[in-house]
Amino acid sequence: MKFAYYPGCSAQSTCKELNVSTRLVADRLGLELVELESAACTGSREVRAANRDLFLALNARIMAQAEELGLPLMTICNTCTLNFFDAKKMLADDPEACARVNEMLGETGLAYKGNVEVSHFLWVLLEEIGAERLRELVVRPLRGLKVGAFYGCHMVRPPAHFGFVESRNVRSIETLNEILGCDSVDYSGRVECCGFHTAAGNEKIAVKLTGRHVRSARDGGAQALVTPCPLCHTVLDTFQAEMERDLEARLDMPILHLPQLVGLALGLSPRDLGMDNHMVAVDLPVGAPVV
Amino acid sequence: MVSGANQITEGGIDARRLGQEESGDSSPARLASLGEGDTVRVRLQRFDPTRDEAPYTESYEVPYSKLMRVLDVLNYIAEDLEEDLAYRWYCGVKKCGACAVRVNGREVLSCWEAAEPDMVIEPLRHAPVIRDTVVDRAPHEERIKRMSPWLERAEPYPGFPERLSHRDMGGVVHALNCLSCMCCTSACPVLDLGADTDFAGPAPLVQFAQQALDPRDAMDRGRIALDEGSVFDCVSCYRCEEACPVGIPVVSAIIEPLKAMAYRSMPARAGHVGAFLDVIEGRGRIDPSALVLKTQGWGVLLRSPGRTLRLLVRGKIDPLKTFFGDAAKGIAEVRRLFDGTRDWKP
Amino acid sequence: MKTMAEEVVIVGGGGAGTYAALRLKELGYDPLVVCKGLIGKSGCSIFAGNLVLSGHMLGTTDAQSEATMEYFTKWWNNFLIDQDYLVKGGSWIEETFYPELDEAGLYFRRDDQGDIVASVGSVRNIAANQQGQSGMLLMDRRRKQFAEKNIRSLEETSVTALLTGSGGEVIGVVALHYPTGERYAITAKAVVLATGHSDRLSTRSTGTREQSADGIALAARAYAEMCNLEIQWWHASDFAYPKTWDRMHVYPNPLVGSTESARMYNADGELFFEQKTDAPVGLAPYATQFKRVGEQVAKGKARLDGGYTTSYAHIPPEVVKEYNYHAKAFEKVGLDVGSDHVESAVSWHCRQGGVHCDPHTMETSVAGLYVAGGIGGHSNGGIGVVSFDGNIVAETIAAKDVSAWAQPELPADQAEAEDGRLAGLLRPVPEGGVTPMRIKNKLRQLMWDKMGFEKTEPGMSEALEVVRSLRQQAEAGMGLKNTTPNFNYGWVDAIDAFNMIDVCELTILSALNRKESRGPFYRTDYPYTDNENWHARNILIPTPDGGVEFRVEPYATPYLEPEFERRDYFDVPW
Repeated sequence: MKFAYYPGCSAQSTCKELNVSTRLVADRLGLELVELESAACTGSREVRAANRDLFLALNARIMAQAEELGLPLMTICNTCTLNFFDAKKMLADDPEACARVNEMLGETGLAYKGNVEVSHFLWVLLEEIGAERLRELVVRPLRGLKVGAFYGCHMVRPPAHFGFVESRNVRSIETLNEILGCDSVDYSGRVECCGFHTAAGNEKIAVKLTGRHVRSARDGGAQALVTPCPLCHTVLDTFQAEMERDLEARLDMPILHLPQLVGLALGLSPRDLGMDNHMVAVDLPVGAPVV
Repeated sequence: MVSGANQITEGGIDARRLGQEESGDSSPARLASLGEGDTVRVRLQRFDPTRDEAPYTESYEVPYSKLMRVLDVLNYIAEDLEEDLAYRWYCGVKKCGACAVRVNGREVLSCWEAAEPDMVIEPLRHAPVIRDTVVDRAPHEERIKRMSPWLERAEPYPGFPERLSHRDMGGVVHALNCLSCMCCTSACPVLDLGADTDFAGPAPLVQFAQQALDPRDAMDRGRIALDEGSVFDCVSCYRCEEACPVGIPVVSAIIEPLKAMAYRSMPARAGHVGAFLDVIEGRGRIDPSALVLKTQGWGVLLRSPGRTLRLLVRGKIDPLKTFFGDAAKGIAEVRRLFDGTRDWKP
Repeated sequence: MKTMAEEVVIVGGGGAGTYAALRLKELGYDPLVVCKGLIGKSGCSIFAGNLVLSGHMLGTTDAQSEATMEYFTKWWNNFLIDQDYLVKGGSWIEETFYPELDEAGLYFRRDDQGDIVASVGSVRNIAANQQGQSGMLLMDRRRKQFAEKNIRSLEETSVTALLTGSGGEVIGVVALHYPTGERYAITAKAVVLATGHSDRLSTRSTGTREQSADGIALAARAYAEMCNLEIQWWHASDFAYPKTWDRMHVYPNPLVGSTESARMYNADGELFFEQKTDAPVGLAPYATQFKRVGEQVAKGKARLDGGYTTSYAHIPPEVVKEYNYHAKAFEKVGLDVGSDHVESAVSWHCRQGGVHCDPHTMETSVAGLYVAGGIGGHSNGGIGVVSFDGNIVAETIAAKDVSAWAQPELPADQAEAEDGRLAGLLRPVPEGGVTPMRIKNKLRQLMWDKMGFEKTEPGMSEALEVVRSLRQQAEAGMGLKNTTPNFNYGWVDAIDAFNMIDVCELTILSALNRKESRGPFYRTDYPYTDNENWHARNILIPTPDGGVEFRVEPYATPYLEPEFERRDYFDVPW
């Protein structure tokens, strides 16, 4: 199984451990990842707003690169995923914009056709690897570990892409947790916003929005939160000390990237999975792998 | 504990929608959840701030009637059971937007949404409660008023019919669907922060966009979006889109174009947008340290030196890369895209 | 009780009231609008689906222009109209109404080439964005114009009484702001009633929640004459379910952006009505539709509350979805607008008549009291026409130069008495008493049963007795389950109940006096349309002893004559 792999910006800067753990886990699963090395940013939220054509061009270029390889495109970031989805839809709905973009891409020999499949690593695990195969590969069932899913926004909303009347009904991470052997904790933040996209200008909103959910997870008995998005991870992990100050309470909540949790169950070591790179120490009661 | 779904079958699951089926999360499933002879069980939040110390809950049982809406349930309580109940509605058919409430934690227009077998009904959030499910709309209306919700033309009106195409109207057509029901504002998490934000919330911004995005309008709407809307406090969580009973793409068709206008009107007041563009154009990718330095200045390192040190130790920031790092591969192509789109106008 | 002194008080925040206020502001006045609901969000103006093109607008031909006049006179008003008023209104709509709204930014639906999208046929109509959205967007625009021009208003405030001077002239109002329970006594040099033509007086009704015929009741208590109260229009193709969608219309009008109109089928699936073929000039063919449903009911192939269907299935669904706001309603209840039929029923819609007025000045028979819009007994509504009324009433008041008049003195005794009456209604249910909702429900059921399609003399007389007994019941023992003054809608219901009782009584009396059948008004004992005797105003005069008198005044026919003297009701197409 082979994917064009788009790690995005965070996994190559603040969250290098996400890139590292994704590659290790992919390797265990027999997923071949062909990294799009010259791919640029998808535009985060700011480019979308400031310059729609630039946003479309940046995304079309990356998708065209995957199309050129003839491979589906795999992401590991919620916001990148939604950007691809939106760009794809906008380009399909606006042939004139698509032609403008293709004219620019043509200068570098690329052409965006619009037939690329985009999928996030979480969905690849469930759809392509599948529950049965994953269960076979679990050598360190995470029994007794209580994990809260922090889905973030851009893989569950807007409803136009994901089809939920209420995004809180999503169960993909809990499904994965069950396969990995751990328990899922219900708490207030499952499908709530981390506030990352206001944090560059003013981190107060992110701290205030997210702290209460981390506390809710802690009150609910979670020993860690797991997130499919490096942007959520950045807020949850990097700003947790600020949340503690704001709430005047200890949180001490380890935040795992999704592939780190999977990697643990597949027998990889916390150190190899980059858990030392987190701001909040990760020290989970997981045993040794059982062969 | 949240249950893990067991619906995975080999071959052909849609992981994006896991959970949807088991929770009956679709319009047909909700329509099918009640039938003739069923009873709708309602727990309604009651509260009279002039008499009660705190909200309390009252329960009612209502016989199901064909295709019953939430408003039919409320009407049954008030009209057939003749119970006292403060609730607001006028048109009953998705025209006035006055009957929004929260049902099981979700904002709905009660005349529009199907009744469910068990319903907890509460007032909207982010508005003062007058009594029971009735909220005070005045702060919302005041906010709209502050944003000059009328057209201001650069040229005199040319006479009827004015030259204007449906295509020219673009996103305004979405904004025109707004009923000002305040569902989105109730769902907006940023408004939970109270005095920590001056964000107008999505509902006034959609109303504002009816003028701001109108091609006939010439007012400096970007400035208003900043001064009266604090539009950059929107976190892009899409709660508003999920809540909107008429399906307005609030974030993508309303708030993002308003952000674009704000950035174009007052780039200095939207410093982070310019910083993102500069960093991507310079490096191809976002280096968060460079971004934070650009938007918040060097002082950010000194504000909390301990944190800066920890970020360094954990490899979260990398000064060498920030100051001396190379741009991503393919940067020349990326810059060409910047050059090719510089003239783009919203 | 708060007191206020105003020059002009406008009661009602729909199409007529808001335009009257805007025009008065333009003429240098500072009117106060008192609205029982929310301006631009309640009342029947938001239900205006279509905007009818008059004159020679947007390429309308001579023939279409003439047909429009015929439509308004014959099909829309069943000849119960001052034709001079209509002609003036038509040119005002063309010259002022459309340009004013276009300039204010109302979006008349265009195509991608920039042309306004109209329906095709004898009479043409357009829409603000979508058919079904026109009134919503127009009224939302008005709400914003109020903000722009600082027009003062009291919303969610029910006017409960008119104040009168020694000569019986109207000099103010008493009002209740029900979210707080605050009462107002407001003196005024002119009071304009603009409370609409659509009221929830029957079990199935298009009236919005707050519409309980207050304006008619208030005017009648000031002894204002009434006109044609009995001519009650019905929607005949509303959703039968869910209950609250009794006012969700499957438009029978020509569909904007298409050459088609909806089709109606009886219980056997037989097509029995389609505007395009059965009433090509009847752009809004409600009266005709109602008559045709009545025929099906008589044949046992439909019921007034269901058992027949309406459908857009013969029209490409993408066209319906593009131009019709209600296409989404089909989806919401699991129907496919491109193939499914929706079970339909009739709903009490609007009065053709109302408070008798001079349609060239909007003056009533009582000094100081004016009307505008559907409450007037001069025409069926229509949002262009009612806006025209707002224009007339504003110009009439300005021409009288009321600014120069002395402010009337507050009649303290009347204000106190009304305050006392309101306080008295906020009492617990007495032993053996009833809630106001019980009274309202019984009235609505009564009107549905006895004042529906088929009206009989004994049925109406019986209804009259029941209405009167309900009044006694309400006076003797009506009370509330909660006596908080804070957003107590039960209190509003109590006020409404007395208004509804009065108006139902007057309506039945008017119906008993009109001895013919016309448009949606069908009496089994007079089953013919009688232009010889009843192409006339049926004027009801309330008398101080609590009774009524009648006067019948023929209409002039300067432009269009009814084509017959007397004809069997079911043979008349309109």
